[in-house]
Amino acid sequence: MNGAHDCGGMHGFGPIDRCHEDEIFHAAWEQRVFGLLWAVGAHGFWNIDEIRQAMEGMHPNHYLSIPYFEHWLSAMERLLVEKEVVTTAELAAARTRVTQEVHHVDA
Amino acid sequence: MLTPDRVPEIIRDGFSLKLDEIVASKFVVGQEIITKNIHPAGHTRLPLYARSKRGTIMMHHGVFPFPDSSAAGAGPNPQNVYCVRFSAPEIWGDNTHPLDAIYLDLWDDYLLSLKELPR
Repeated sequence: MNGAHDCGGMHGFGPIDRCHEDEIFHAAWEQRVFGLLWAVGAHGFWNIDEIRQAMEGMHPNHYLSIPYFEHWLSAMERLLVEKEVVTTAELAAARTRVTQEVHHVDA
Repeated sequence: MLTPDRVPEIIRDGFSLKLDEIVASKFVVGQEIITKNIHPAGHTRLPLYARSKRGTIMMHHGVFPFPDSSAAGAGPNPQNVYCVRFSAPEIWGDNTHPLDAIYLDLWDDYLLSLKELPR
């Protein structure tokens, strides 16, 4: 797939930012996504090539504008729906529920 | 099956997808090849910058599932993987050093022998 991920040789990105090389995770949610991908993936819903394909298939604008671990999250959601493990309605309902819980806590 | 006790070791050491199967190699170490001009809609591990490029087989890694096939749900289609050396001028053009090189791990189905050069 000639997607945004296949960026070898592209100009304009600037030098690689090596300031935070020691930090594997920049936020707690990234750790959670890392664990989630492994735990969910261990059930055999997808192979490694399928999850990569799901990441690569994101719209280039989206792919380039989000942090690395959001690629993982987005690919996981896409595959879980494609593999009919969850439905888009269930994902949307879960997001709504979590958003409401967070707002309830903050209120 | 992945169990919790195996997770720290896998995170630390990684894991290999190498297969025990033997598949007849299409190429040999030292052979010159040219990469195919493929543009699959799905996943591939042949980067855009390395298509229709001449290189040399440096090492034979063994047999692995073919990612293009695996990603499409078409099964592993096991193939040989080679480390292929491409000179910097071949990939990035004249404003490069002739001794610089890129090494890519590539599958049988990405490669053509020079006898098979497309017209």
